[in-house]
Amino acid sequence: MIIPEWMKEKEDYKSVSDRRRYIIRTVKSLSEILSRLSFQAGHEKEHALPAILKLILTIALMILISVTNNRLILMGIFALVLLYLSTWPAKDILSVLKVSLMIAVFTGILLTPAAIFGMSSGANLIRLVLKAFLCLTILSLFNHTTQWNHITGALKKMHVPGIMIFILDVTLKYIVMLGVFLRDVLTAVDVRSVGRDRNKYDSVGGAMGVTLMRGAELNKLMYEAMQCRGFTGDYDNHSGEVN
Amino acid sequence: MNKEALIRLEHIYFSYDGENRVLEDYDLTVQAGECLIVKGDNGAGKSTLFRILNGLSFPDSGRYIFGGDFIDKEYLQNDRNFKRFHQRIGYLFQNHDIMLFNGRVYDEIAYGPRQMGLSDEETDTRVRDCMELFGIGNLADKAPYHLSNGQKKLVALTAVLALNPEVLVMDEPFAGLDKGTKEKLIDFLKAYREFGKTIIIATHEDELELRLGGRVEIMIKR
Repeated sequence: MIIPEWMKEKEDYKSVSDRRRYIIRTVKSLSEILSRLSFQAGHEKEHALPAILKLILTIALMILISVTNNRLILMGIFALVLLYLSTWPAKDILSVLKVSLMIAVFTGILLTPAAIFGMSSGANLIRLVLKAFLCLTILSLFNHTTQWNHITGALKKMHVPGIMIFILDVTLKYIVMLGVFLRDVLTAVDVRSVGRDRNKYDSVGGAMGVTLMRGAELNKLMYEAMQCRGFTGDYDNHSGEVN
Repeated sequence: MNKEALIRLEHIYFSYDGENRVLEDYDLTVQAGECLIVKGDNGAGKSTLFRILNGLSFPDSGRYIFGGDFIDKEYLQNDRNFKRFHQRIGYLFQNHDIMLFNGRVYDEIAYGPRQMGLSDEETDTRVRDCMELFGIGNLADKAPYHLSNGQKKLVALTAVLALNPEVLVMDEPFAGLDKGTKEKLIDFLKAYREFGKTIIIATHEDELELRLGGRVEIMIKR
């Protein structure tokens, strides 16, 4: 085999910095968030509350937090949540609070102009931020302490139609899978971006296009696999676990 | 410790989520121009090792030295270091699908040379030479996404080769290739080695080390 001359020599390449690399980095960060969107086994203990009870409790608490204006109730829930969290390892507390705090700060930023221009009082602003923080934390606690198959089981017991659970399950799985795929494509783009890319948007657009095509392909493959396993288009709610 | 070593991993510890330890007190030295064949069971840490070598994952502790530079997060945060490092070490991912993001095979291979600021003429020479090496010149205008598995792998490999890296790292390059293409790739690697290029391959292929004249590194599942 004849190796081309340029390949025989050591490349004398001086790298240049590329200020537009942030585009790839930003989209990659977003895809990483999507890829982490999977429900976790987390903290579910052997003798934990049944998932259905936790689900009802979570929904009830979120409705209560949303409708109440009583500061005492909100502070009470806040204290209970913090008390419960204090029994967890630091690493897990951080993973729960990170998202909640981020959303709380974001809510605060969005509402600050209203408070500054006197359209809303400071107390209202604090209440809304607290509500956002509590809702997110409670949802996050539910996510961390309940396995996904137990959540689908709980939804079934609440008579949610099987097809809806199935769609929810598949959608979530696909978001995670395609998030992982997009993250990996962008990693490959990044490692081959060894200089100044004048068409950075094309590269990111290409990565997203490939991900879209991959999604369509997986969709078709899954349908074919389901057909091979006897799926006729009807979803039987009583035929077993939806996983 | 050999001063000539191009790649040195010293006392590398790596775990996923701080729990599943994949590498423990792992050392590796690769000389410039050497051919290293990494073998081991699935889950033994071959892909993790390759991610570390390519600066995509960082060890919990230990040092990675490439061409005299300490490769860590901080080093690669510098844009110029990052780009220079990735030009010097070319990586063929195990899942080659993720490497194909351009609309045409030609553009896929030309992506690296264009980034390096080569002229259109030089870029064209590199692309044509690379395609000729593996007999895929007829695919130049085709969309990479719609190629067969083996063709995709060759396009991904040529896209890496067009960067003319010093080190070629390939994760399972023979998987999914037919016999003829496999032989062509082995012939290429033999010839490529003669010009002082360093090759690191993860593979399950038997006796590849005898054919390429390389050293074998066996990784054991923990």
